[in-house]
Amino acid sequence: MTSQANPKNKEILPGLQLETVDDKIMTLNVGPQHPGSGHMRIILKIDGDYIVHCDPDPGYVHRGEEKMAEYRNYITNIPHLERPVIHDSCNILYPYCLGVEELLGLEVPERAKYLRVIASELNRCVYTQYWLAIYGIFLGHSTMFMWPMGDRELVIDLLEKMTGARVTHSYFVPGGVRNDTPPNFEDVCLRQVNYFEKRLKEYADIFYDNPILISRTKDTGILSREDAIKLGTTGSVLRASGVDFDIRKKEPYDVYEELDFQTNVLKEGDSYARSKIPWLDMFESCRIIRDALQKMPKSGSVRIKLKPNPKGGDTEVYRRVESGRGSLGMHIVSRGKPQPYRLKISVGSFRNLIAMPHLLTGEMLGNMPAVYWSLNYWPVEADR
Amino acid sequence: MGTASGIIKALNSGIKHIATKRFTFRYPEQKLKFVGDGYQYDPDSGVGIAGYKGRHILFHDKCTGCQLCAIACEDIAEAIAMVKVPEQWKHNKKAIMPQIDYGKCVFCGLCVDACPFYALYMTNDYELSSFTKEALIYTPAQLQVKPKVDQDVEIQIDEKGANHG
Repeated sequence: MTSQANPKNKEILPGLQLETVDDKIMTLNVGPQHPGSGHMRIILKIDGDYIVHCDPDPGYVHRGEEKMAEYRNYITNIPHLERPVIHDSCNILYPYCLGVEELLGLEVPERAKYLRVIASELNRCVYTQYWLAIYGIFLGHSTMFMWPMGDRELVIDLLEKMTGARVTHSYFVPGGVRNDTPPNFEDVCLRQVNYFEKRLKEYADIFYDNPILISRTKDTGILSREDAIKLGTTGSVLRASGVDFDIRKKEPYDVYEELDFQTNVLKEGDSYARSKIPWLDMFESCRIIRDALQKMPKSGSVRIKLKPNPKGGDTEVYRRVESGRGSLGMHIVSRGKPQPYRLKISVGSFRNLIAMPHLLTGEMLGNMPAVYWSLNYWPVEADR
Repeated sequence: MGTASGIIKALNSGIKHIATKRFTFRYPEQKLKFVGDGYQYDPDSGVGIAGYKGRHILFHDKCTGCQLCAIACEDIAEAIAMVKVPEQWKHNKKAIMPQIDYGKCVFCGLCVDACPFYALYMTNDYELSSFTKEALIYTPAQLQVKPKVDQDVEIQIDEKGANHG
């Protein structure tokens, strides 16, 4: 992200500026090593306790996922594409699989569609619990670090039974899912999801209704509805500013239109509202899982057999899904080869990061973690 | 809600957990229970069988040395190399079998999906750490061994809460 041009700065060479030092303003680097900033650097200019300028500097964990995808075929792309966000690995593979299915003209079996929805909602819970734990420890609430990390185990256990791995499941493939559920999975899933929901309700007393948390997050980093739309934010940030936008509702994919759930919208647009939306979304995820388990066909195929090295035509597709951090889209360009010609990943994290300088300018330094992490930003995903 | 009552409520919700049984389990002494014998794949139907994706198991009497697992892994982790084996099999003229480097393997299981002869499966064995990098390279003879995995605890849910038994 380019820093704002300071009129005092002299341009000594084209594009190279000499920064003038102000006696009153101090430059503070948060990160990139500090775990609190999460593999990125935030360059803050502070006047006393107030932030006068904020310049987020992502890119420290850039892995070249998009370029790597051009050298691998549609199946071997799967394991490396889920690396940007391993907690949410089903959701990041979702748009890829939907796109490749459109390219190759595959029809996914009905049971596989439901299994995908269940896996993707469980993954959303895993991601959100992890995010919530970090948010708790950012605000000095160590119980809120332990509880979500512990309860996350309930969901990880389900995903492990279903997919065979605790994280990085490699579960979705173009044409369905890798394997069917183990016997007796529905009962175990229902029991653990019900208990998980019961535990989520307990977070209200200790965290969301806690006066200490409210005083730290309420009315900090307010993002108005107009600014949220103008800056192009997505997901929980957008919904916390009063915009009812959820891709699962607006552009339903797979079987989301048949499932019963609602989107959570809050009007305040402050850090508190932004931190509450993902928590409320987890209740909806539990509702979706219960509904999907009920409506799912009890038997049937879950995967179409593909030819080795399938080839797409001379077309382009763009598919997007609602991930834990907002809209997650993939644009696949095919030129008749087994490998994609170009794969563009558009992630919610990076879109939400754009709002950060806007929110932090004028804020107190102590509020920086509360505002920063409420943006639902995952550095590794933003860098791809 | 007043500030004082809110703080008391928050403290109370934490204090309740002092009396309940811990949710976590003591790992090296206790080990988690898995479903099945590990991830397997049925090449006829083209669908996998749910199970944990741990260390592989190789059936020497079925492996034909076709290298499809190594080709599948080529673009993913390059963990599989085909090596000569001393045994002579009728169905394996070249006498080559996969050798897996667990320093590179990402446990995605796509090599299992690639095997058309039911020769390569995954098992529940996840304790693969070693002192040297060389010890992470499993030869076909090591991959043949069926692992012994202790499985004692799983999540149990009752009215008081959840624990690992």
